[in-house]
Amino acid sequence: MSQKKRLFNKTNKLFLIVVLGLILSSPILESLFVQADVVETSVIIHVCGNGVIEGDEVCDDGIHNGQYGYCKFDCSGMGPYCGDGWLQEPYEECDDGNNVSGDGCDAVCQTEEAPPPPPDGAVEVPPPVPTKVILQGKAYPGSEIHILKDGKEITTTKADSKANFKKEITEITPGIYTFGLWAEDKDGIKSITYTFTFRVIERTITTVSGIFLPPTIGLDKTSIPRGEILNIFGQTVPEVEVDIHILSSEIVEEVRADEIGAWLLPFNTQPLDEGAHTTKARFQLNAKERSGFGRALNFYIGEIAVPIEEVCLQADFNKDGRVNLVDFSIFLCWWGRANPQCDLNQNGIVDLPDFSILLCCWTG
Amino acid sequence: MAKKLVLLCLLLVVLSVLPLGAEAVVLYLEPDSGEYAPGDTFLVEIRINTEGECMNVVEANLSFPQDILEAVDVSQGESILTLWVKTPTINQSSGLISFIGGIPGEYCGRIAGDPGPSNLLGKIIFRVPGMMVSESKENIAEVKFLDSSQVLLSDKLGTKAELTTQGAIFKILSEPGVLKDEWQEMIERDNIPPEPFEIEVYQDPLIFEGKYFIIFSTTDKQTGVDYYEVKEGDREWKEGRSPYLLEDQSLQSIIKVRAVDKAGNKRIAEYTPPVKPKPFPYWIIILILIGAGIIWYFITKLKRNRTRNRIETHV
Repeated sequence: MSQKKRLFNKTNKLFLIVVLGLILSSPILESLFVQADVVETSVIIHVCGNGVIEGDEVCDDGIHNGQYGYCKFDCSGMGPYCGDGWLQEPYEECDDGNNVSGDGCDAVCQTEEAPPPPPDGAVEVPPPVPTKVILQGKAYPGSEIHILKDGKEITTTKADSKANFKKEITEITPGIYTFGLWAEDKDGIKSITYTFTFRVIERTITTVSGIFLPPTIGLDKTSIPRGEILNIFGQTVPEVEVDIHILSSEIVEEVRADEIGAWLLPFNTQPLDEGAHTTKARFQLNAKERSGFGRALNFYIGEIAVPIEEVCLQADFNKDGRVNLVDFSIFLCWWGRANPQCDLNQNGIVDLPDFSILLCCWTG
Repeated sequence: MAKKLVLLCLLLVVLSVLPLGAEAVVLYLEPDSGEYAPGDTFLVEIRINTEGECMNVVEANLSFPQDILEAVDVSQGESILTLWVKTPTINQSSGLISFIGGIPGEYCGRIAGDPGPSNLLGKIIFRVPGMMVSESKENIAEVKFLDSSQVLLSDKLGTKAELTTQGAIFKILSEPGVLKDEWQEMIERDNIPPEPFEIEVYQDPLIFEGKYFIIFSTTDKQTGVDYYEVKEGDREWKEGRSPYLLEDQSLQSIIKVRAVDKAGNKRIAEYTPPVKPKPFPYWIIILILIGAGIIWYFITKLKRNRTRNRIETHV
């Protein structure tokens, strides 16, 4: 009887220890699962000049890139060095393709017959490696891509027939920058402005790859009776899978983009309830790579008195087709006051949420 | 025993489902601790950790003990916020620092491969006053975010993000040591002016009652933009901000805007108004015609008089 009691006490204690252990360790367990602050996107940055071989780089000697005997300034291969068979003055007097002494040209590329003459003039200083940013990714076939730096349009570039683009940005001071990209598809529908922020280090070439502009999206109607077909369409990279999400109903449909990237989903609205719904799309490149979501469009099942105007069209206060500094200036003038035009969320005052919505719609 | 097992299982289930420390956007200060002596100037960075969320507006309100710390300035250099509804403002007597800024587009956190921390919102420059009346050998200075601080998500609704803030606690000694001046070092290193920019002239019924105004905006990647000045034609340089109502509404003067950073480096942008073609002076032609008419009249009169005189003398 007493043995059983003792065992029972032990079990009690064990139980208490386990419970306490769980309670005390839960914050630690929680922290193990907390996401690091690195966002999950398709965008990856490689820096040529940071001393680490990344991506397509063949070599990377950090601050020595571009100098004699080190990696080339663009990390595409080794630069000139003693033993490459090419004479590079003033570092070399000869170069017989090896680093062996006693064969007329010594191991450090100096001639062995006579003492080396004194160098004439100053040693040639290697040109400083330029600070450059390369942006590459996918948009829409043949589309013109607008590139913003800190919210201002600095240049444009064109995507090829496969929707690929690549642009070099030179003339850039080292520092932290927010780049934004947007494009118009073949029907003039604008994409979202895809933004990302990173630091540009002096005398390095920063390559940002995997910039996938999400598919453009359009609707043939914004209000439709239940049961009718709503055409959801747009353009993206040719011949990829596009998945279209209908929110508030958790419906996901898939279509394939054609050879020019055009996609169309004739959607039967029967399963949807009456009321407001939202739809958005993204594309899947392969098993590992996909884009983020593009613009979310609202539509209404049933009758609606006032047609829904897309909020970004409202944010273009001066109606010049762009949401940029002029619209922000107009916004600033009405800050803290009532103005139905600048009050994008219609809460009676021009305040912080309106500022956030304006920034979401920014085109530069 | 079975009862206990059931209780244990229930507890496990509850613990796994309970949002212990829900994911929230975090506003924090770096460094969050340190020791400073009278005369020291040091920098405190305001940073953000978005924890996977995407945001584009920050309203930051901070408090600091105004009797033992002096907030000298706030640098916007290296800030990811590039549009300011309220530029950083210091109220020393109340011990308050506040700003409202935004990013065109959105910020979702650090990208894989980013070579440096790029989540900076601003840098506060604090100075420990040289003379401090204090009985204790060291004081504690707490710099913290007020509850009115907010971060908005870029969800096209301007939703307020769930926010956690982490302030800083500094030990302020009463005896001066080896003088530290982090801000002066930064200023001396900065010899690069603000980024190049353009001036745009606009007119819109929604602002300044439809009068002409200019807009301009730039950033400085080192110590940050301090202020802007505008010069119209021969007028003096006048401190101003965008949007700026032009004094010369005739758009005849060359307009210059000067962006000055905290180290005094300047970048000037210029706008030359298009030359209006002068209207053809038709009035000159009319004057010439009138003049010619008068001259012709007098010549004719003179001729007539001469002819009359000749006839009279002949008779």
